[in-house]
Amino acid sequence: MSYVLGFSVFGVDWQFVKPFIVIGLAFGGVYALSGVGLVVLYRATGVLNVAFGAIGAAGALIAYYLLNHTSCPDWLAFSICVAFGGVVNLAYGMIFGPAFARRDPLVKMMGTLGLALILLGLMAWRAPAGGAFARFLPLPSSSHHFTILKTTVSLTQVIAIGLALAITTAVSVFLRVTKLGTAMRALANDRDVTATLGVPVRRVEAAAWFGSGLACGAAGLLLPDLLTSLDYSALTFLVISSLAAALIGRLRSLWVTMFGGLAVGVAQSVLSPYGNVSAYRSAAPFVLAIVALLYLSRRRVVTISRATG
Amino acid sequence: MRSTKIKIGVAFAASGLLALMLTAAAIGAGSAARVGSGTASATKSVCGLGTGKKATGTPIKLGGIDMLIPGVDFTTIGKVAQAYFNCVNDNGGIHGRPIKYILYNEQLNPAQEASLARKLIQSDKVVGIVGNTSFAECGTNAKYYASKGFVVIGAGVQAECYSTPAFAEVNNGPRYSNVGAAQALIKAGVKKLAIASPDTISAYADGGPALVAQKAGIPVKIFPTHLPVTDATSQLLQMYQFAGEGGGILLDFTPDTAPAFMKAAEAQNIVDKVKWGSSTPIANTFMAGQFSPAFDGHLWIDNEFSNVDPTVGPDSALMFQVLKKYAPTIAPQAFGQMGFLDGKFAVNALMSVKGAITAKSYNAAVRALKNQKSDMLCAPFYVGNLAYHIPNNSDIIVDYKNGAVVVKQTCFRIEAVDKAISQTRVWEKKFHLQG
Repeated sequence: MSYVLGFSVFGVDWQFVKPFIVIGLAFGGVYALSGVGLVVLYRATGVLNVAFGAIGAAGALIAYYLLNHTSCPDWLAFSICVAFGGVVNLAYGMIFGPAFARRDPLVKMMGTLGLALILLGLMAWRAPAGGAFARFLPLPSSSHHFTILKTTVSLTQVIAIGLALAITTAVSVFLRVTKLGTAMRALANDRDVTATLGVPVRRVEAAAWFGSGLACGAAGLLLPDLLTSLDYSALTFLVISSLAAALIGRLRSLWVTMFGGLAVGVAQSVLSPYGNVSAYRSAAPFVLAIVALLYLSRRRVVTISRATG
Repeated sequence: MRSTKIKIGVAFAASGLLALMLTAAAIGAGSAARVGSGTASATKSVCGLGTGKKATGTPIKLGGIDMLIPGVDFTTIGKVAQAYFNCVNDNGGIHGRPIKYILYNEQLNPAQEASLARKLIQSDKVVGIVGNTSFAECGTNAKYYASKGFVVIGAGVQAECYSTPAFAEVNNGPRYSNVGAAQALIKAGVKKLAIASPDTISAYADGGPALVAQKAGIPVKIFPTHLPVTDATSQLLQMYQFAGEGGGILLDFTPDTAPAFMKAAEAQNIVDKVKWGSSTPIANTFMAGQFSPAFDGHLWIDNEFSNVDPTVGPDSALMFQVLKKYAPTIAPQAFGQMGFLDGKFAVNALMSVKGAITAKSYNAAVRALKNQKSDMLCAPFYVGNLAYHIPNNSDIIVDYKNGAVVVKQTCFRIEAVDKAISQTRVWEKKFHLQG
């Protein structure tokens, strides 16, 4: 059992690596959750929302404030954190969505970058880093532990992995079975034709903005617990890993995005104990994304034509 | 027309209310107990002259530079020094003259550190520099301060703070605090030791405790940590896997960062499987409140100062009063003790100046400081004309218990694994620096 999965190549045994896989799967679950949110939004609106991390971080900070400076009950603060993601995303989509609707995807993405920078600025202003003491946003689930295969697993880690699976399944079913889901898929194919067919485009887009925002709020709630600190800059830039997961899914496939997110989390975590490569583990998401994109497009035929006449 | 009248009426009413509130506040302030006033005695510490009268003369300028980066906030030290100076200014100042303290923040940027030091001395024309703490500022400005004849009373972190003549630190810094923690862990019976510090100071800060472990024949591994920490759980697991059950894990982080590791230890259910050592910064009731009872009995925190407790002695009691009145947002903690002692010793130097207070006379007075007693220190503080200063080299060990910080081991001398410590002890005896 000590030399499973080829880890013995590095002189490290399975027992050593197991806890890092668990940690990686939990982080991967959050990346997957965010990645699925990104893909759903992109498919419905053509917007790659890079403000995902910042929105989640802002929601988490609000929950932290409510829990530590008011008598707000836990459940309400956590709900507000999730709802904040949905509301901010929806507000951005409704205010700026129409203006950007016919612009290039790059321009649409830059708009969300603006939102991310504004939120980062607001967080730095109202809740500056430092202040001598760290901020936490622990979930009640973090105090529940299990031992699986001699490895300690917290309930939050189980929730992170389970939620990614549940949301991916639910969204897949939703897109296939419901009317709204069908409309979203239609929008992804051709916005103009869908509008011509009488689909209420604005309403469908609003649903996509709100739904993906909720996923972003949930990620913002789970990550501080997994990170064991509420560092809004770290949370903001964790969108990079989610983005890589979405790229692995080619911004289309929810399931590939989910497994991509899990793979990114595991790769980052498992590399951390190896001194030689540990410093480069932050590159893991994009290395994986590039490898996956090359693999997934291996059978594509590139057509080169020459203009005649 | 009617609405204009209403507006004027509302404005008058608001002005009246504001005036009443200001009057009430002024009366309240006047009748409140004065902090730091009275006559100093063995049981009472006062701010400066303790007259209870505001200083009104020409301000005496002092300056300071503190580092503020994500994951580490040293500005608390300067802010508490400022609070102490405010208390002195409300108690007669320096023979009637108030202290004007100019505090700058830096972001671990040597160019910024160099320019701020020059700004303080050349543009702001401060007579002295007090309350500095940074990962790198000592190294950046040691030569400059020495060239200008300045001796900084501060709280040090890096090697240059303890190996150049321009600094006299009230604390013993991460290296020596970690040495004390490693001594305590080894005394408690650990068989392996894993040590983590911020990567920018790891070589210096972790080198001392590693020498202690090697001397005791104990395997040791250092884990330099990049700040801000984004994978505390992964790193902690690596440390745990090295140390093993019954081993020791020594964390050298400020209260911004250490909690991430301690929360991770709770989440991984390994709190009671190893012995936890730490340098001074987490020795405060705020942290104890968060990590007690989980960590009760499992901690060996080396404290460079006395326990943060107002009943320890007059200086401790005064620090609590000063914080309450002049810096109410700052929780009592080791960084508060550093700022308080920085301020106290700078004021003692200023008070001892005969004649005009200039940069030259103030810094000469700083060099003349010796046998400066405080209940916050195991042994008196001093400066002296030395090649370097390590006046704080005796510590205590504390632990958490029921949300409070409790003393586990009373004052002990940290092991002289460095020549600098043994040389310091020779100087202390030779020049009677501690009485």
